[in-house]
Amino acid sequence: MTRVRPPAGAFFQMKTETKEKFSKLHDKYYKLALIIPAIILILCLVYMINFYSSNGDFIYKDISLKGGTSATLYGKIDISDLESKLSGSLEELRTRQIYDLVTREQKAVVIETTTPGDEVKQVLEDYLGYKLDNQNSSFEFSESSFTQGFYKQLLWANLIAFILMSIVVFILFRSFVPSFTVISCVLIDILMTLVAVNMLGVRISTAGIIAFLMLIGYSVDTDILLTTRLMKHEGDLNRKIYGAFKTGITMTLTSLLAIIAAMIIVSSFSEILKQIFLIITIGLIFDILNTWLTNVSILKWYLEAKK
Amino acid sequence: MKLTWKIWLFLVVFALALISIFGIPPTFLQKGVIISSVESNSSAFDAGLRQGQTIIAIDGKSINNLDDFSKSLEGKYLSGEKVKTSIITTQSEFIIYSEKSPEITVSEIPKTRIKTGLDLSGGSRALVRAQDVKLSSAETNDLAGVIENRLNVYGLTDVKVTPVSDLSGDNYIKIEIAGATPRDLGKLISEQGKFEAKIGNESVFLGGKDQGVASVARSGQQAGIESCQQQSQGSYFCNFRFSVYLSEAAAKRQADVTRTLEVNRTPQGNYLSKKLDFYLDDKFLEGKSLLISEDLKGRVTTQISIEGSGSGATQQDAYKTAEQEMKDLQTILITGSLPYKLEISKLDTISPTLGDDFTNSILIAGVVALFCVACVIFIKYRKFKSSLAILCIGTSEIIITLGIAAFLDINLDLPAIAGVLAAIGTGVNDQIVILDEARRNVTSSMRERIKNAFQIIMGAYLTLVVAMIPLYFAGAGLLKGFALTTVIGLTLGVLITRPAFSDIVKMIEE
Repeated sequence: MTRVRPPAGAFFQMKTETKEKFSKLHDKYYKLALIIPAIILILCLVYMINFYSSNGDFIYKDISLKGGTSATLYGKIDISDLESKLSGSLEELRTRQIYDLVTREQKAVVIETTTPGDEVKQVLEDYLGYKLDNQNSSFEFSESSFTQGFYKQLLWANLIAFILMSIVVFILFRSFVPSFTVISCVLIDILMTLVAVNMLGVRISTAGIIAFLMLIGYSVDTDILLTTRLMKHEGDLNRKIYGAFKTGITMTLTSLLAIIAAMIIVSSFSEILKQIFLIITIGLIFDILNTWLTNVSILKWYLEAKK
Repeated sequence: MKLTWKIWLFLVVFALALISIFGIPPTFLQKGVIISSVESNSSAFDAGLRQGQTIIAIDGKSINNLDDFSKSLEGKYLSGEKVKTSIITTQSEFIIYSEKSPEITVSEIPKTRIKTGLDLSGGSRALVRAQDVKLSSAETNDLAGVIENRLNVYGLTDVKVTPVSDLSGDNYIKIEIAGATPRDLGKLISEQGKFEAKIGNESVFLGGKDQGVASVARSGQQAGIESCQQQSQGSYFCNFRFSVYLSEAAAKRQADVTRTLEVNRTPQGNYLSKKLDFYLDDKFLEGKSLLISEDLKGRVTTQISIEGSGSGATQQDAYKTAEQEMKDLQTILITGSLPYKLEISKLDTISPTLGDDFTNSILIAGVVALFCVACVIFIKYRKFKSSLAILCIGTSEIIITLGIAAFLDINLDLPAIAGVLAAIGTGVNDQIVILDEARRNVTSSMRERIKNAFQIIMGAYLTLVVAMIPLYFAGAGLLKGFALTTVIGLTLGVLITRPAFSDIVKMIEE
């Protein structure tokens, strides 16, 4: 008995007919398709301008960027009682729980407030009725003027990183339109992710800023792949695009799946890693749109015009 | 099947990484407990025990773990008399005669040589800077020295004090303490600690070796907790007292000042009209002033004693607070004041309590992520060998990155781990590029196709590395770990694992 095995790579393989149909469709509408990302981009810009004018910043900052105290208390603690009793004495109090992934058992509570560390410790000790030490609690305190400087530097670091990345891209391709396309794709990825994160109301921490930096790396990957394949090889343009798409989408899907799985596992434990993974996930999803709709169209337009 | 030199290179690096992580002989096979700190000025310290030594036997009984350690000392010091304890480390034997258990803390031998950061292993980190003045880097270095000395005098040995600066040119001092943290670390490092003894308005001496203090008694008859009592409301307080020896000059100064004072005659005794008052950071220390007895008038005396008390809800608490207060004062008197007023920019004290759970969840996340990668790759290519190769290379990249981190003594904190993940993710992406290029139905040779893949990979590599450079310098070095591990992971990928992988793919495809 023989089993019929699908050919290698069948998952992403299309029938030749469908391929040709799609190719014709793409030839006809690829310029028009640019309207979709353009509209999203404009909406995002409007949102961000609006956001900035009402919040005075690009993001909601958590205490690692705003200054304040984060205290982790180990053990089972009634979080709603704590919140109702202490919200008067601790400024901008926010709480969350750390629990075991499998048993869902509460392991600790995390308290965030803009009140300085010493005061927080005192208030918590009075509430709990026992002394807090290195065995039953963790404290992280950042002074607000320090964190403001820190935040500014991280923004600078991101900006410089972006500029350096742009220079490298220009050196790689030595041609304005393709380089510019790659760079703007990264920028738009970041912008769209920023909007999504703000809409979700995520309070960005230091780690979140790092995640945006990682996003530069992840989104530039597929853009360089696409641009190199289209610019440097001979052959039918649509076939090259399709080839690049197959490789690129495998890359992005692999990363996405791995990151989402990791995010689910660490989310109950580490706010830091959860936020990094969340930002990269959102960024990668937008990257699919921006690379395979926007960039493909612009590059195709550019290469067709050059002919 | 013939392995190419690129594959050999990869295998050698991989083996070296394993050695770097586990050591030779592997640390997880070693028995004993490791000394994580030794209290200075203790009998254990005098006997020669130091941080980092490995204890393998106590009083002839072998020590395999923490349990063995605590059992071996259990009940031994109940009598309160001096007893002999023999401690054998991997290097030699130490004999201690003491009435209390050795003043050391021990921990299990770590299973690997990978150092985890504060957020996983627990400990404290502080960033301090001078208030109101901008310090030069030389001044910052001096200050770091004074702070380190103060922490050492206090009894903390596993301390790292480093001057750091950031993009805007501000200088900070970073203090990192592994393991247990004193309760008032903030006070200990930021308090200027200007100790001054005055009679009336006349300064007699300042804290610090060259400011009038010759030495400070810290143990034995001349220093300790004297008595504990219950207060009326149910709380307790304990008194401490320790001797301070003044320099000749300070003693003479005291004689000069007391010479002109009058004598008050009271039923309790005859004392001079003014007391010896103490000030800490220009604040008068209430209740700590010393009456000066009549016979000291105009006399040169080099020994004075300083008293104080600590209170608490239980006698044990009160005893601890008193001990703490005494230690604080002694430290300040010995080390003198810091040259600047300091402010704390950041102070993190992280408990090691959940560290293991944390590490475990990260490991699980890593394994699951790799499994997801394997699934996608297998579904896409339907080729067992190629998929397995991607998976193996991905795993080995994690191991090599960790090996390099262990070799370079990089502390892996959460951002650094995120960096490792970022590098591995990019690595998997690169391998997909190689695999796809190798399998493309174009007429060019395999060599040519691999070259094409490397153009893409090098392009992506360069953009990512330059993006990490500014982060290395920003924010007082708090994100250095992330930048470093990312760059290490990416670089070794491009130089070692990717070339090896492309050779493996060539072998599989041809």
